[in-house]
Amino acid sequence: MIVLCNKVYAQSDSLDKAQKLCNEKKYVEAIVLLDKAISNPETKNNPHTWHMRSYAYLQSFKLSGNANISKINLLDTSMSSAILSIKLDVDSSKPYLEHNHAFIKNGAGLYYKLSTILLQDSLNDIKSEKLYLRYKSLTKIINSDFDFKARDIEYYNTMGSIFADLYMKNNFNQKQGEIAKKSLQKVLEIDEKNISANINLGILYYNQGATLMRMMDYDVDLAQLDIIQENAKKLFKQSLPFMIKVYELDPNTEKALESLEGIYSALLDDEKANEFKQKKEALNKK
Amino acid sequence: MLLAFSSLSFQQTQNYDTVSKRKAAFLYNFTKLFDWPEKMKSGNFIIQIVGSNNNLNQELNRMASTKQIGNRKLEIRITSTLDPSLNPHIIYLLKESSDLLKDANSKYKGNGTLIVTEKAGAAKQGAAINFIVADDKLAIEYSKNNAKKTGLKTGDAITALAIAVD
Repeated sequence: MIVLCNKVYAQSDSLDKAQKLCNEKKYVEAIVLLDKAISNPETKNNPHTWHMRSYAYLQSFKLSGNANISKINLLDTSMSSAILSIKLDVDSSKPYLEHNHAFIKNGAGLYYKLSTILLQDSLNDIKSEKLYLRYKSLTKIINSDFDFKARDIEYYNTMGSIFADLYMKNNFNQKQGEIAKKSLQKVLEIDEKNISANINLGILYYNQGATLMRMMDYDVDLAQLDIIQENAKKLFKQSLPFMIKVYELDPNTEKALESLEGIYSALLDDEKANEFKQKKEALNKK
Repeated sequence: MLLAFSSLSFQQTQNYDTVSKRKAAFLYNFTKLFDWPEKMKSGNFIIQIVGSNNNLNQELNRMASTKQIGNRKLEIRITSTLDPSLNPHIIYLLKESSDLLKDANSKYKGNGTLIVTEKAGAAKQGAAINFIVADDKLAIEYSKNNAKKTGLKTGDAITALAIAVD
């Protein structure tokens, strides 16, 4: 990653020194000078100042470990500096644009990486999504036509799958179940025919209903039993349209056939349950 | 540069028979809603299942290991026929055993055995309780007359929660 020498805009001693320190990979010391330079009337409106600052903070972040969430402020500063450098780079030749874009592209990739770490290792959906959205906003700066559809589907499907898994493993944790549902619904807002989201959402609703039954005590009185059945029934019925959609999209999806058998069984519709049981058995015989 | 997420997997439906759980809960309630004759108030409380349903058997055995009827142990007996050696407090004829209802009525008349079935119309044919499906939920039909014929007493609680067939 090369930082341009300033040939177009006015130079100063402090910037020269900062440049030298960057070349020597002494980023922390460079940052001290650059943080002063952004307040100095001589250099604060120089795109080179902000460009160099972006570079120094970016390198500093990378040296801290690249996946160091606690140092994210370094990355944030790098990106905001690159953006400001672009804004100040008014010369027709735009000498810093290409490299600022390179910094932003690099930064976007790092935000994406961090969002996956927060999602998969730390299971922090809120912070992960915040970084994912940051990745998207930076990518738009360098490529305003970028189509995020596939990326969004992948991200929210993964979030949904992870939290649906947690819901099951953590004794049917309600909060995790709701995060899973919300994520999978986002996928369907983008692509209503997405098989993975439809199946996982259908199963999630079904499992929530089954959990109500599982957690019920045997000596619950009949009035309460009716209420529990009613609540479970609503969840089983919410599950149905997702599974039916998958079945309609692909009648040979074994998971859908199996799930539909289960859902109709739970709804005490033996005829329909048997119908899907037979379809599943016929599929397995092929 | 960009990382791929871990591969997506489909979730698993809980392999859990919710219907058996509901039936178990109903059966447990019956133990509280009826009053058995004095001769049946000692020893283990016996629930006999006539027919084959592994999920139901497992659920009832689970219930029997965790619940008692007052201070009496709950005993679950699984049979394929009406067992003359058994004197159950509750006998539940599964669907495939519904044709034994007439024999059960004859055998248990005045005996203090609650006859439970799961076949359409069975409450009018001698069963005191018949499982039905109403509004996509498990519900019960109740015949007070049939319960009386087998020597059982009950209050109004079950009447309020069941579909009366008398």
